[in-house]
Amino acid sequence: MPKATTSTPVIQLTTLTKRYGFGETSHKALDEVTLTIEKGEFIAVMGPSGCGKTTLLNVIGLLDRASEGDYDLDGKSVASLSGQQQARVRSSQIGIVFQSFNLIHRLNVLDNVALPLTYSGIPHLKRLERASEILKTFHLQEREYYMPWQLSGGQMQRVAIARALVNHPSIILADEPTGNLDSRSSHVIMEELSQLHKQGNTIIMVTHNPNLTSYASRVINMLDGKIASDTSTMPDPTAPKKSVKIPLNQHTKRKEKITKTTKTPRKKTRKAAK
Amino acid sequence: MIQLLTDHVHNAYHSLRSNRGRTLLTVLGIAIGIASVTCTLAISDGVRKMVDTQVSAFNGRLAVVRPGFKSHDPNQLVSPVTQQSFSTSTLTDADTAALSKLPNVETAVPLMTIEGTIHAQHATGSNSVVLATTPDFAKVSNITMLSGKFLDDTTDDNTAVIGLQLAISLFDTDHPIGEAFTMRGQQFTVVGVLRQDSAPINFNNVDLNNAVVVSFEQGKNFNQGRSQIQQIDLLTKKSSDLSDATKQAKSKLLSQHLGEEDFSITSGKAITQPTGQLFQVMTGVMTAIAAISLIVGGIGIMNIMLVGVAERTREIGIRKAVGASQRAIVAQFLIESLIMSGFGGLIGYGFGYLSAFIVSIFLYFTPAFSLQTAGIALGMMIAVGLFFGLYPALKAARKDTIESLRQYH
Repeated sequence: MPKATTSTPVIQLTTLTKRYGFGETSHKALDEVTLTIEKGEFIAVMGPSGCGKTTLLNVIGLLDRASEGDYDLDGKSVASLSGQQQARVRSSQIGIVFQSFNLIHRLNVLDNVALPLTYSGIPHLKRLERASEILKTFHLQEREYYMPWQLSGGQMQRVAIARALVNHPSIILADEPTGNLDSRSSHVIMEELSQLHKQGNTIIMVTHNPNLTSYASRVINMLDGKIASDTSTMPDPTAPKKSVKIPLNQHTKRKEKITKTTKTPRKKTRKAAK
Repeated sequence: MIQLLTDHVHNAYHSLRSNRGRTLLTVLGIAIGIASVTCTLAISDGVRKMVDTQVSAFNGRLAVVRPGFKSHDPNQLVSPVTQQSFSTSTLTDADTAALSKLPNVETAVPLMTIEGTIHAQHATGSNSVVLATTPDFAKVSNITMLSGKFLDDTTDDNTAVIGLQLAISLFDTDHPIGEAFTMRGQQFTVVGVLRQDSAPINFNNVDLNNAVVVSFEQGKNFNQGRSQIQQIDLLTKKSSDLSDATKQAKSKLLSQHLGEEDFSITSGKAITQPTGQLFQVMTGVMTAIAAISLIVGGIGIMNIMLVGVAERTREIGIRKAVGASQRAIVAQFLIESLIMSGFGGLIGYGFGYLSAFIVSIFLYFTPAFSLQTAGIALGMMIAVGLFFGLYPALKAARKDTIESLRQYH
């Protein structure tokens, strides 16, 4: 249910098809998907396994190319972009959060977060400064020099989100960001994402968990590579939420708000939350 | 761009450090390859330098007249004088006399070699060369005496100067002055011992260290009273006279030989050319053999890089997902292999010279440093790093991002 606006949509998919295999064995992971995503939307993509959710996300994230159809990003077709240009778009406009975090185990938290900046040609010290800054907003500054395997799942995912955000991308893609996490950590991650949404980022999230759709402004259900339903739960993303948010667990609900400029140390509450 | 490069170097350093043992072994492979190439080249540089020193020792005043027609026979490469063993020399005593009278020539020294077994009281010397020449030989060669004196106008025909090695093997002493030995039924008294110097390669391959030097007259006696001159060394008065003297000598000899050019005159670097060519060919062959170990080392790099790429498939996927281009991935892995080959090259270069100096203990010349060798070693290590790192790097860059991210380690 795309909204009628005058501005160009951030993402415009037109009869997009992604085919795997050849001839009789070919299988359509995406079947003529047409989708318009405006700036500032928080989209939850739902559906059973194998319905093409992840493929859709990969195509939007320029990790994969569609077999047919058009994909316009910010009004520009990506089909004409070279590999080099696509890499540049990935590094500057898109931040991806994976289910399995995908942190580099050799590097510490700070270096992991600074990684995307490497490919935008920012000097080493400046990269670390910016990474440190963004880690602070996620209240992970005292974990900067930890190695990824020394963190809990929820902390790793927050590091991954910090990494996705360090380049200030306009689009954040999250592929089951809470899939590997317990409900307590899931809740924290969803709070972070909804906070980002409030700051005006476009978020596309793939999830299996229907409870999480309560955070989204729009829910897309997919089935066999097609969009089965597209409902807007929150027509105006800036208006206060009308839908009832179902807390995952009354005891784990976070009591504090996360803002970029939080200055008060939150060590105590963080520890209490665990 | 430079920023990215330093990042890659930094990154490569860390990833190589995290697999220290593996990196060390690979670097060792390259080091051995570069070391064997450097060692070969260093030794051949030493030979070349030695030959050059002998030529330049006379400040370009030396010309050499050799008998026989000029030939480009490849056999000359191996032994510059074989052809003369079968025929009578075209150079005569008259030629020597005429050449020494030329205005620019200080002296003309004839050389002939004779075969002979040397009998001393307790030992017999074999494989010794007997060189018959005039006292002026001391002027045209850089020989120095260890003890005694060289042949001169006052010494008799039955006196001889011998090389140090021969003195030791015949008389068990390096001061055998006054000792006697017989050769071809004739008794000789030793009047001098030559210092063990760098052997003058350009004198018909004579190893002076193991030779007997007798007077030219005595040499003729052994040869039925006839001279069999294998070489006449011309020493000019000034180095600027060399080309004039060579021309005059040529026209003089032509007139003496009735217009037949059955001799050749070489001067300067050309004197050592046969030897030089021989060494060049040998160096080439030996370097090629040494390069095989370098290739083996290179395959080691490729192997370890492929393992590294396979191990870090997921990392490659992550890097691409956060914005690394294929070029950036290629650069990352290429720099890693270049660092390995570079380190190997540096270690190998040092190690090569070390082993060259160790080997030279058993040889009569010392290895030499040259820019050319350093350049070859540098070029080879870069080439090996690039060549054997390129395939793994391309393989890494071409990996499908999604497939890579699916890999678990």
